[in-house]
Amino acid sequence: MAGIFKPPGAFAITPHKVSVCILLQIYAPPPQLSVTFPFSSVSHHNRLGLFLLALTKSFDDILEPKLDDLIAQLREIGGSQNHWLSDHLTCRLSSLSSPDDLFNFFSDLRGILGGPDSAIVEDDQIILDPSSILGTFLRRCILAFNLLSFEGVCHLLNNVGIYCKDALSSCPPYELPHVGNSSNDSEGLLEYENMDLENLVFEKVTEEIEARKRASERVSFHIHAPKALYGLVEDIEVSAAPKFKHSDKARETSTFVHPANNSMRGVDPNGGIFLRTNWQIQGYLLEQADAIEKHDSSIPLNAFESILKQLQKLAPELHRVHFLRYLNNLYHDDYPAALENLLCYFDYSAGTEGFEFVPPSSGCNSFGRYEIALLCLGMMHFHFGHPKQALEVLTEAVRVSQQHSNDTCLAYTLAAICNLLSEIGISSTSGILGSSYSPVTSIGTSLSIQQQLFVLLRRSLKRAETLKLKRLVASNHLAMAKFDLTHVQRPLLSFGPKASMMLRTCPANVCKEMRLSSHLISEFSTESSIMITDGAFSTAWLKNLRKPMGSLVLSQENGSGNNSDAFQFCAQPSSIPGSVLQLVGSSYLLRATAWELYGSAPLARINALVYATCFGDASSSADVALAYAKLIQHLAVFNGYKEAFAALKIAEEKFLSISKSRILLIKLQLLHERALHRGHLKLAQQVCDELGVLASSVTGVDMELKTEASLRHARTLLAANQFSQAAAVAHSLFCMCYKFNLQVENATVLLLLAEIHKKSGNAVLGLPYALASLSFCQSFNLDLLRASATLTLAELWLSLGSNHAKRALTLIHGALPMILGHGGLELRARAYIAEAKCYLSDPSFSVSENFEVVLDPLRQASDELQVLEYHELAAEAFYLMAIVFDKLGQLEEREEAACSFKVHVMALENPQDEDDPLFNML
Amino acid sequence: MIELEGPLGKSDAVNRELVSLERELSTLRKNGTIDPFGLYLYGLVLKEKGSENLARTVIVESVNSYPWNWNAWSELQSLCTTIDILNSLNLNNHWMKDFFLASAYQELRMHTESLVKYEYLQGTFSFSNYIQAQIAKAKYSLREFEQVEVIFEELLRNDPYRVEDMDMYSNVLYAKECFSALSYLAHRVFMTDKYRPESCCIIGNYYSLKGQHEKSVMYFRRALKLNKNYLSAWTLMGHEYVEMKNTPAAVDAYRRAVDINPCDYRAWYGLGQAYEMMGMPFYALHYFRKSVFLQPNDSRLWIAMAQCYETEQLHMIEEAIKCYRRAANCNDREAIALHQLAKLHSQLGRAEEAAFYYKKDLERMEAEEREGPNMVEALLFLATHCKAQKRFEEAEVYCTRLLDYTGPEKETAKSLLRGMRIAQSGFPSMDVEHFPP
Repeated sequence: MAGIFKPPGAFAITPHKVSVCILLQIYAPPPQLSVTFPFSSVSHHNRLGLFLLALTKSFDDILEPKLDDLIAQLREIGGSQNHWLSDHLTCRLSSLSSPDDLFNFFSDLRGILGGPDSAIVEDDQIILDPSSILGTFLRRCILAFNLLSFEGVCHLLNNVGIYCKDALSSCPPYELPHVGNSSNDSEGLLEYENMDLENLVFEKVTEEIEARKRASERVSFHIHAPKALYGLVEDIEVSAAPKFKHSDKARETSTFVHPANNSMRGVDPNGGIFLRTNWQIQGYLLEQADAIEKHDSSIPLNAFESILKQLQKLAPELHRVHFLRYLNNLYHDDYPAALENLLCYFDYSAGTEGFEFVPPSSGCNSFGRYEIALLCLGMMHFHFGHPKQALEVLTEAVRVSQQHSNDTCLAYTLAAICNLLSEIGISSTSGILGSSYSPVTSIGTSLSIQQQLFVLLRRSLKRAETLKLKRLVASNHLAMAKFDLTHVQRPLLSFGPKASMMLRTCPANVCKEMRLSSHLISEFSTESSIMITDGAFSTAWLKNLRKPMGSLVLSQENGSGNNSDAFQFCAQPSSIPGSVLQLVGSSYLLRATAWELYGSAPLARINALVYATCFGDASSSADVALAYAKLIQHLAVFNGYKEAFAALKIAEEKFLSISKSRILLIKLQLLHERALHRGHLKLAQQVCDELGVLASSVTGVDMELKTEASLRHARTLLAANQFSQAAAVAHSLFCMCYKFNLQVENATVLLLLAEIHKKSGNAVLGLPYALASLSFCQSFNLDLLRASATLTLAELWLSLGSNHAKRALTLIHGALPMILGHGGLELRARAYIAEAKCYLSDPSFSVSENFEVVLDPLRQASDELQVLEYHELAAEAFYLMAIVFDKLGQLEEREEAACSFKVHVMALENPQDEDDPLFNML
Repeated sequence: MIELEGPLGKSDAVNRELVSLERELSTLRKNGTIDPFGLYLYGLVLKEKGSENLARTVIVESVNSYPWNWNAWSELQSLCTTIDILNSLNLNNHWMKDFFLASAYQELRMHTESLVKYEYLQGTFSFSNYIQAQIAKAKYSLREFEQVEVIFEELLRNDPYRVEDMDMYSNVLYAKECFSALSYLAHRVFMTDKYRPESCCIIGNYYSLKGQHEKSVMYFRRALKLNKNYLSAWTLMGHEYVEMKNTPAAVDAYRRAVDINPCDYRAWYGLGQAYEMMGMPFYALHYFRKSVFLQPNDSRLWIAMAQCYETEQLHMIEEAIKCYRRAANCNDREAIALHQLAKLHSQLGRAEEAAFYYKKDLERMEAEEREGPNMVEALLFLATHCKAQKRFEEAEVYCTRLLDYTGPEKETAKSLLRGMRIAQSGFPSMDVEHFPP
């Protein structure tokens, strides 16, 4: 059965496979060979078995592990006999000194396979079932060896020598050819040998690929994923079969490559010269595509580019290389090169290679599938921040896919458009989604952009459901949740009998959508038939082995003790594709964001933690960075800056210098916040400017960053007591948010305006802003922000005079549960101080009778503010304390409080302290 | 060395000896014991390895010490991708340099400069067929087909068995639709050497002119089998596939042409056309942009791009107008641009601009003595426009010219005339009409 699956010619025997065979021999020793049984326990033996299983499963990987790696892994599973295994392995390998040794070795190997006549079995003997995975692997190795010509055997022997030498002398691999000069010559000869062999197997390979095509087996292939849409919509299944457009099939398979040139040698340090099958190269490319997506720009551009160029030169008909080059350029922000390669890829492949290529059931396929090219181009424009072009291209994609009735592509395109619309700020509908896009215009152009988006989302979801595109359904649910989170649903019809309208967002809907999207994982885990076998997947087996267990998020100690138990757990590879994990993970990230908005700090933190621990491996580095940023922010708000910066340092090490990343953003935010608190306004302004520079200059792009930057700008101005300027900035920010329909941000901006008026002494003017902010918070269910707005409202009332103190106090007491439960240090301290002030200014309240009611909150506030280093408020707290102590006649305590007051005021006035290590973090 | 070959496709030899060759040659060069041919070889190796700057210096050294090695010159030419690089070369004066420059100019699409150089060279080498053919090539690029034909006729008289460059002659004959001359040429080269890519290409052209596209494709394929880097065959094959409505194949062929020489504006144009045919005008625009960038003086490319903008899917009229304006400025033979400009302006309600372009179009049609629906449209628009502007005399002239045509326009012209007469003669009568009796 397996022999048909992959002809032996495509399965070249390599030194690595020889060592796996040796290990197999140890695992299941032949009866006549009396090897001392080296295993301490059954579980130990099983561990080796699992390891071998993983190794054999990953034989299709383009990069075979070096002997060093293998030995290291063996030591890990070895337990007490950890050196026995590796020693035995190296010993056996180096004992292979003549071709005859190899012949004997392989004929010995037959002995461990149980034949049909294996009736006479000794008790303690382990017989490999010939049709098991290990057995099949062994049989194929033996077969491949038997097919080798004598020159081939010599070649293998040479390579085994190099393989061992490489591990033992650990000299740089590129010097090896000089070490063994004689081997170099024979290599040259043997290549021709291998070429002949390749011709022999051509026919078979063609047959195999044909068979594969008929079965239309699919392989997950990542089309590039912009971070948005949670990077997942594009995760699409692909047929593994290369295109068979030309009649000449034998030539088609000529993409056997020979990666024995300099640059490939960098990749393949074994230095051996082996033919790679088309299959392996495809797997390699898939894997690289995955890696590029996950780690964005941390893969060196030029190094990978040169490998790809080499590949392209060697295998000109392997068009997917163009796609990889496109991805590589995309993530390194090289627009012209990315565009060029994308176009090139689709010109050559006509969209029929890769990307869920299902031969259309109805009739002619001669038109190519260029709509996919449009989809990719649109997403590329989106990635580069050209929303207009992106929309134009995607509209064309919709049209063309409708024309060619490619429903799948249409569904993905609609999802991409939704994503685009929700990500970029569009102020007016005119000119966008021009007359050409029928689904939208059929509803009527009177709809706002948000309503259009809602309609599109719903249609896209329905389409995905009918087409049974599970991942798309899940990501559409997520998009829907995101929409519900920040938008009040209004009836689409603006006439007719008004249905009962609730002008609030609906958290229950958000929750429902997120739950629906998480169903995906259960669907995939129940369906084992979806198991994808390709080069990329097989490497997952080995990767799972290497994965450190219990990855410690944001903790300094990196325990790497005895993890033999952990190993066992990890050796069970998950059958859930990475893309599904990614999608499920992003639902957790969205949950964290949702709770952040709704104002539940612990839940937000838990979700971010879940994401960072469980889905960190599967998702892109940008998303993980976001989760980390959320955690760091949480630390800063609840535990002060010291811990936050310590955590930031760890995160920075983890995400090395990704420009414009979340980590940089959070760093700037923290620095700004801290500078504001310490009264270091110059630094604050500087940081604020840097934040503004990060955003793109195109209108409608990077809205989040832009709002953040100008919000912080206004706050800096406020701290500098430049009230009118601060108000002007806040006002223009409000206008922008209103224009682009950023309602949640509006609530914050209104609150800021109220603060500005409060601080400038215009409490009457501040009141309407605070009330407006309150009503925004109510309709968007922003509970924490609402509590904070209530607090501001109370402060405003209080500043109107002492006769309003009662009213202010009731307001504060109403908000206190929320503030104490979920608020950060600053908010809590503010609430305490405001409460104390209310009591103090209340004429009916006497301090001497009831001093603990005042002193207790003040003490709390001063403690928290000292952690935050918020000098201004801390000074206020101590001032109030001093007054209270004065009234009580406790002079000693009064002096103490006054002293602390002085310290904070001094610190506020002279913010420059050179010894501040964070000062030069910028 | 291993030769890898795809189906008719790009294939490349991988040479793993380059490193050692380079090492050896560079030591020789350092010692000063290398001759000009060695330098040429060294340059080749360097170019293959991708260190182009050094390769250029080495080859310049080679040609300066031994100028009669044309292969070195052509390698040097392939390394000069921009005019700046070409100008920065430090070359000794020699007549071989003129040959090089002429050819390099041609490659850099500076056809007039190249023509001047060749004509100067022809003064010295007056009997050179090569120079004559190159002049023909330059003139062909300048689209002076009549002169090219004359040159080729003379060339064939001098050298009846010539096959080189004859594919260009066949292109000219194709463009002029000279069936018999093309078949005669095809027969001639077929008798001389039928296994030359040029011969196959000429025969392919012939079949294409006859409308037998399958056969034509077969011959182009044959030409490509003989020389897989034969640029114009790829492009022409793309054209044939377009004719056969096999767009993916056409796209593939054009893309190969572009990969062989990214400056081939015809192939870029073909790619754009193919995508436009598939109803992807926005996608096609990129390709058209490429082609007009490479050949900004070709009105056909601008018109194609404008039409792309004009499609109902895109409907970007402003951009289309800009393109048409460029087209009108670069000698638009078919006079599409002026007419379209006028039409688009009138669509946008810019009567003045529309009238301006209609008038220009009219003048041009008069000069070329062409008649047709465009003429009627222009006259009608101008007549109504002038009337609306109260320039009655002009309007009358246009109206009377319209009277020469049959059809509904004649009646419109009549009624216009009548209206104008009334307006001119009796303002009072009109006033009277306004009051009910």
